[in-house]
Amino acid sequence: MRTLPLITALAILLLALTAAPSAWAHKIKLFATVEGTTITGTVYVPGGGRVSGAEVTAAGPDGAALGTAVTDAEGRFSLEATRRVDHLLEVDTGDGHRATFRVTAAQLPPTLPGPKGAPASAKAAPAAETQPAQDTAAPAMSEAALEAVVARAVAAQVNPLREQMAAREDRLRLQDVLGGLGWIMGVTGIGFFLLARRERKRGGG
Amino acid sequence: MVHMVEGVVSAPVIAGCTALAAAGVGYGLTKLKADDMPKAAVVGAAFFVASLIHVPVGPSSAHLLANGLMGLLLGWSALPAMAVALLLQAAFFGFGGVTTLGVNLVLIGLPAIIVHHLFRDLVTRGRSAWAAGFACGALAIALSALGAAGALAASGAAFVPAAKLVVLAHLPVMAVEGVVTAAAVSLLARVKPDALWTRPAPQPVPAVGSNA
Repeated sequence: MRTLPLITALAILLLALTAAPSAWAHKIKLFATVEGTTITGTVYVPGGGRVSGAEVTAAGPDGAALGTAVTDAEGRFSLEATRRVDHLLEVDTGDGHRATFRVTAAQLPPTLPGPKGAPASAKAAPAAETQPAQDTAAPAMSEAALEAVVARAVAAQVNPLREQMAAREDRLRLQDVLGGLGWIMGVTGIGFFLLARRERKRGGG
Repeated sequence: MVHMVEGVVSAPVIAGCTALAAAGVGYGLTKLKADDMPKAAVVGAAFFVASLIHVPVGPSSAHLLANGLMGLLLGWSALPAMAVALLLQAAFFGFGGVTTLGVNLVLIGLPAIIVHHLFRDLVTRGRSAWAAGFACGALAIALSALGAAGALAASGAAFVPAAKLVVLAHLPVMAVEGVVTAAAVSLLARVKPDALWTRPAPQPVPAVGSNA
């Protein structure tokens, strides 16, 4: 077999790859969580280090700029949310790396004003803050304050889970590699099929 | 980063590169003979997985490309094989993207073609296989990195800082890729020298016992 050494070489390469403890997708990633009105996050290379000094910009669903932040030496950044709208975070390091992350409006506290076009929801939030406190003096905390406490407690529980999920997605899976190799074989097979058909047609005609 | 992700390069760059890449793939397909098909598939598969081997660069890391080796072994028919492999890398690994496929094919494939023409005659002389293989692998990476900086510059980024970032990040990759390519080439030169001739010497060997 003429191609045998090549196939052996490939098999060795594959074995080395599967034995390697970490195979990571090479790209930068942006990950953010919300606590209160603060969006904090990191810019990092999966399996590698953190990206420092990168500018993270936040834009609303309408494309309006909502703020920028620069990552510190640890790759961390934080942004104050001023509106309860989806925040599309984007980082572009200038060398061809770019990553985005969406913080949904639902993650932000309802006390923040909503989108610019809809001031009604903006009014509803502060109202909820004051009214219950007057109606029922019994609870020591206003409903809004309670909500904030609960939201913080839930965020403290949920944010590590979000981080874990993001980390799982970063990992390259062996089946992806094998799937890709399968595709290459399949495409080669199709190529042979087409060639053979052309040859047969040429032979027949 | 040589694989351009979506949203980094501008539309005119994408359009131009896609047209160029399509022409290259078309030409490569005409050069792809049935006998070369298994080789193209195996080298394409190696290219596909080589991108998973990472070279740490400071806090970040860059990965091998194997475009020098691929160009050397396949010549123009590297382009169709590379197009398939790049599409799969985008789909499975998230390297690059579907719309930037043409850009990446130009950035990675063009250096492959260049080193093929520069080194194919040198490599076949047994003793120089190591040196030529190293130069071939390293040069292909350097050209790709410069091309990436050029594509970023054409998309509005300042060329010099972008080039500095991309080329600096790829200096260690050049070294590793050079060694890997040299090892592969010198192995092939010893074990299977005919793999290094993409255009075999015109000796009319009658097909014996095969239906090729």
